[in-house]
Amino acid sequence: MRRHERRVRSFLARLTGGEGADDLAQETFLKAWRMASSWRGDGPYLGWLLRIAWRCFLSSRRGRRETTSEAGEQAVAADEIARIDIARALAGLPARERAAALLCFGEGCSHAEAAAILDLPLGTLKSIVARARTGLVRQLEGHER
Amino acid sequence: MSADADAMLKALLAVPGRGPDEAFASRVERAVRAEEKLRAARRAAWRRFTAEMAAAAALLAAFVLIERRAPADSLNLISPFGPAAAGLMLLALWIWVSIRPDFGARDN
Repeated sequence: MRRHERRVRSFLARLTGGEGADDLAQETFLKAWRMASSWRGDGPYLGWLLRIAWRCFLSSRRGRRETTSEAGEQAVAADEIARIDIARALAGLPARERAAALLCFGEGCSHAEAAAILDLPLGTLKSIVARARTGLVRQLEGHER
Repeated sequence: MSADADAMLKALLAVPGRGPDEAFASRVERAVRAEEKLRAARRAAWRRFTAEMAAAAALLAAFVLIERRAPADSLNLISPFGPAAAGLMLLALWIWVSIRPDFGARDN
């Protein structure tokens, strides 16, 4: 848990904009402990954890309206202009695109790994990543002007 | 262009390096221990319930057998001084002990 908590918490913090990220991370590790016997070792353990984290995030969103505009501002230290911009850009994406961007660009997951984590077909995941890339670049370029 | 954009996004989205957060790790470990305790208490409660239900079933079976051995000319009423009455009283006492909350607390 100590080995992976940094990356799981970072993924959830950026996904949620910081709100309730640690609670979700705790729930993720608890679920991983409960389901430990179901891990078959057929992929990276971190990928399995991130998949659980994604599902915890989706469960937490049910019945709640997602706020995008405030979320990015909560997640980032005030003295990092670039990270403020990327956080705002992330907050402007739908959750699935945000998760795909975080996994493929932030966590260094391959498209196949990210598709397994998000439980999506590979082709769908590639489309989502492409849309996320375009959206992020457009928003970052818009912030620079 | 796409490769430049990917490189830029990877740099911006890279997870900052730091050591493990011991406060968070302790928090998760406490939650795991609490769940382990809850599971152990639940298992103990189910074991006790199963044992008590088996004992109650055995008592009821004994009561039924005793009543079947009643004399043919009896009124099929329970004799207040017979073994069936004693068994019923014992069963009633047992049920009363089981359902009282303060008696349930002795296992904690």
